[in-house]
Amino acid sequence: MPTSTDLLQGTLDLLILQTLSLEPMHGWGVAQRIQQISKDALQIGQGSLYPALYRLEYKGWIKAEWGNSENNRRAKFYRLTAAGRKQLESELQTWDRLSTAIGLVLGRTVEASR
Amino acid sequence: MIRELLTRIWFLIFRKKRSEFDDELRFHLEQSIAVKVAEGTPAAEARRQALIEFGGVEAAREDCERQRPGWWLGTVAQDIRYAVRGILAHRWFSVAIIATLALGIGLNTMVFTLVNAVLYKPVSVPGGDRLVSVAGRLPSRDESSVPLSYPDFLDYRAQATSFESYEAIDDERVILSESDNPPHLYHVANATAGLFAMVHTKAVLGRAFLPADDRAGVEPVVVLSHKVWLERYAGLASAIGRTVRVNGQAATIVGVMPKGFQFPSGVDLWVPLIPTADLAKRDNRQLRGYAILKPGVTLRQANAELSGIAGRLAKQFSADKNLGVSVLTFQQRFNGGNIRTAFLLMLAAVGFVLLIACADVANMMLSRALSRQREMSIRTALGATRRRLIRQLLIESVLLSTVGGVLGLGLAEAGIHWFDLSTQTIRPSWIEFSMDFTVFGYFAALCIVSGLLFGIAPALRSSKPDLAGILKEGARSVGQHRGGWLSSVLVVFQFALTLVLLSGAGLFVRALLNSLSINAFVPANELTMALLQLPGNRYKDTDARQRFYDQLLPRLRELPGVAHAAIASDGPGLGANRRQIELEYAPIANLAQRPSVAYVVQSPGYFETIHLPLLEGRDFNDIDGTAHHEAAIVTRDAATRLWPGQNPMGKRFRLYDDKNKASEWIMIVGISADMVQEIQENDPRPLLFVPYRQEGWDNMAVMVESAGDPLQAMRTTVQSLDPELPLNDPARMRDALERQTWFLRLFGRIFLGFALIAMLMASMGIYAVIAHATNSRTQEIGVRLALGATMRNILLLVMKRGLWQIGAGLALGLGAALPFAHLMASLPFGMARSDASMFLIVALGLASVGVFACWLPARRAAGLDPVKAIRYE
Repeated sequence: MPTSTDLLQGTLDLLILQTLSLEPMHGWGVAQRIQQISKDALQIGQGSLYPALYRLEYKGWIKAEWGNSENNRRAKFYRLTAAGRKQLESELQTWDRLSTAIGLVLGRTVEASR
Repeated sequence: MIRELLTRIWFLIFRKKRSEFDDELRFHLEQSIAVKVAEGTPAAEARRQALIEFGGVEAAREDCERQRPGWWLGTVAQDIRYAVRGILAHRWFSVAIIATLALGIGLNTMVFTLVNAVLYKPVSVPGGDRLVSVAGRLPSRDESSVPLSYPDFLDYRAQATSFESYEAIDDERVILSESDNPPHLYHVANATAGLFAMVHTKAVLGRAFLPADDRAGVEPVVVLSHKVWLERYAGLASAIGRTVRVNGQAATIVGVMPKGFQFPSGVDLWVPLIPTADLAKRDNRQLRGYAILKPGVTLRQANAELSGIAGRLAKQFSADKNLGVSVLTFQQRFNGGNIRTAFLLMLAAVGFVLLIACADVANMMLSRALSRQREMSIRTALGATRRRLIRQLLIESVLLSTVGGVLGLGLAEAGIHWFDLSTQTIRPSWIEFSMDFTVFGYFAALCIVSGLLFGIAPALRSSKPDLAGILKEGARSVGQHRGGWLSSVLVVFQFALTLVLLSGAGLFVRALLNSLSINAFVPANELTMALLQLPGNRYKDTDARQRFYDQLLPRLRELPGVAHAAIASDGPGLGANRRQIELEYAPIANLAQRPSVAYVVQSPGYFETIHLPLLEGRDFNDIDGTAHHEAAIVTRDAATRLWPGQNPMGKRFRLYDDKNKASEWIMIVGISADMVQEIQENDPRPLLFVPYRQEGWDNMAVMVESAGDPLQAMRTTVQSLDPELPLNDPARMRDALERQTWFLRLFGRIFLGFALIAMLMASMGIYAVIAHATNSRTQEIGVRLALGATMRNILLLVMKRGLWQIGAGLALGLGAALPFAHLMASLPFGMARSDASMFLIVALGLASVGVFACWLPARRAAGLDPVKAIRYE
């Protein structure tokens, strides 16, 4: 069984945005959360997590602020911006369309994405 | 969207601190370790695992950095710095490349500026990009254009909605005279009153036309060009309000136009076009229309609209039957056909020069690529990707071509200035040879494209080094033969293009030589010529004009030092009028099949004046040309072409004018020797001479043969008969003939220049390639010499490759030169037909230069000291 599933190009960005839409988080937290929710199916390569975070920040979709972590350490927290929220919505729609379409082609019912 | 852009710009300017990533990373690792420790892993092992899990820290850092907007700018800057270092490090090499490119790009920019001005650039008046020329069109006669009639012009103006303004001009040459100034012939535009308003130009002194100036019955006014104002009235403000005579009719000077303004082309004076009964006839076509299109209206739309109007007019008026209309830009109207071909040929030629230059530079870069292999291997070993290497090499070559180009821009500027001066008297005044943004765009594109052109092959080559081999053994023995074929192809290509250019130049030179040798019997240095235009209002008919010349010619012949004097419609070799001819007893019903002839109108004594021998019959006498005594003299060539195998003496023919009206029957009274009258024509017609009395034209050339300068005496004599008659365009026959061949001289010089530069570059190219190849074979040659090879063996060994390349280049070039020469020979400027001997001479010349260029390095190789050569490193 593969330990991680190769993420589609651009999907990592979507996952990060979705994760951050719940609450501001630091990089480590994002990685842990994605792994947790996907029941360990998705392991974010840490070498690609930070470039992705930087890319999103450079695009203005998330914003970084230094704050204190749960165990009171200085950490960089990322927060979704208004532009990021809009981007997330449009990307979710795209995802729905895409997965429905692929599902149809593959002959699977796709109730889950609703 | 905007927010995103702003964020990007923000990060472009304010970079994140390096420590930020480090801090973040540290936190990440701590968390990771903490989790592992909590699971029971020992601290040291947990740390190790966390680091392994994370992967390459440095790689991640670089990845993060690469996300930054514009991060690549930094690496480009790095590459540019590196390129500059490379250029400076090989100084002489770089100078050679830059000089070659400066020449190539400079010449191209120059020629493109000329082509742009002649074929595309809008006329430099306000709204010039919408300025068009309107003329009638004859669909029945090859769509050739005809002037408009005044009523047609008014109808178009009233009905057309495509034009912002629409004016018309009747071009004329008129005599301007007044009491205290000598009479002078000027180019006048009889223009509708809105002409100046159309191009938004105001007078610098006095006023331009008022709307009422072209109404019937008003006081005639004159507007001066700046040039005439300076030359004739010394730039005095008192010129305004002066009363002058225009062809004898009184008019008042009301204004002076700005310097350089001669709209539409070369105009000296503007006079309002006042409608007359004659002008109101619909079949009296003498106007040229000029219009400014409304913004947004295309030429196609304007043509469609006016064609519609033309269709209505054709139905309405019999005079407009079968008459169309065309709206064209100035370039399309006046610079079409052969001028276009000539300039495009020049652009093609100079394009060849640039290609040759690029090939030269590519060859130099290729030879350097070999010596750079070590450098490339090291950079590759240090982790540079192939893309990065290619990019860096291309940046280097574009940098070189840009530096060369900027230097070339100076060269181009000088060349344009020279061309501008050379053509000042010939070109229409609305053409301005100057650079504009189109030219700069072309120039910039040229710099980049030529940089890529000569850079791409060497870059691809040197970015693919054989890593292990080169680092181990050193560059010397590797790759010599691998690159050979590309250099060879480039040299072959250079020689082929050079041959094409040389053949082009050869055609021009041959045509020039031809033009010097024709009509050798004419005493061109002793003949003085001036044009006389007898104004119609004072010389109403042929008799009046004939009386004037009957008085003038004897007086001219009595002047001291004057051997002969005569009048003719055109000087020897200066062109001729043409008419259709019909021979007696051989009627041709079909108009189109009637042959045309060239003819010269002349007074008795013309043959003596130009020293053209009469072979049979007699010269004209004073009765020839009067009613029932119509006469003509033909050249021997015309006689054999019109009456093959017969004696033409006493034969009769008649001529048809533009309106297809036949003349009386004309009898041949003499046969002259042959002469070339139409130098500029590719297809000269049979030449006839007819007596002045028969035609009575108002514009004739007076020719005087005299050892000294008879001009002043000629003028005094003419003006003793008519004080208001100027001598126009006075010139020695030698100068007048040279003016006929200005095109050959100018373009010949340009082509020859291009061809010589190309030849120099091509021989430099072959020299460099052979020298480089020889250099890398020094050891081998040393061994051969030591083993007893003779000088001849070595010369052959080294030169074999060069000779092969020259041969292939010449063969290829000959194939390309033939159609090129054919195209050039179609130019109607007296271009010579291409012939085998010319190609042979050119090919031999080029071959010997090429062989010499190969021989230089070969001789050095043959003279090597074998002992030293073997040790050569």
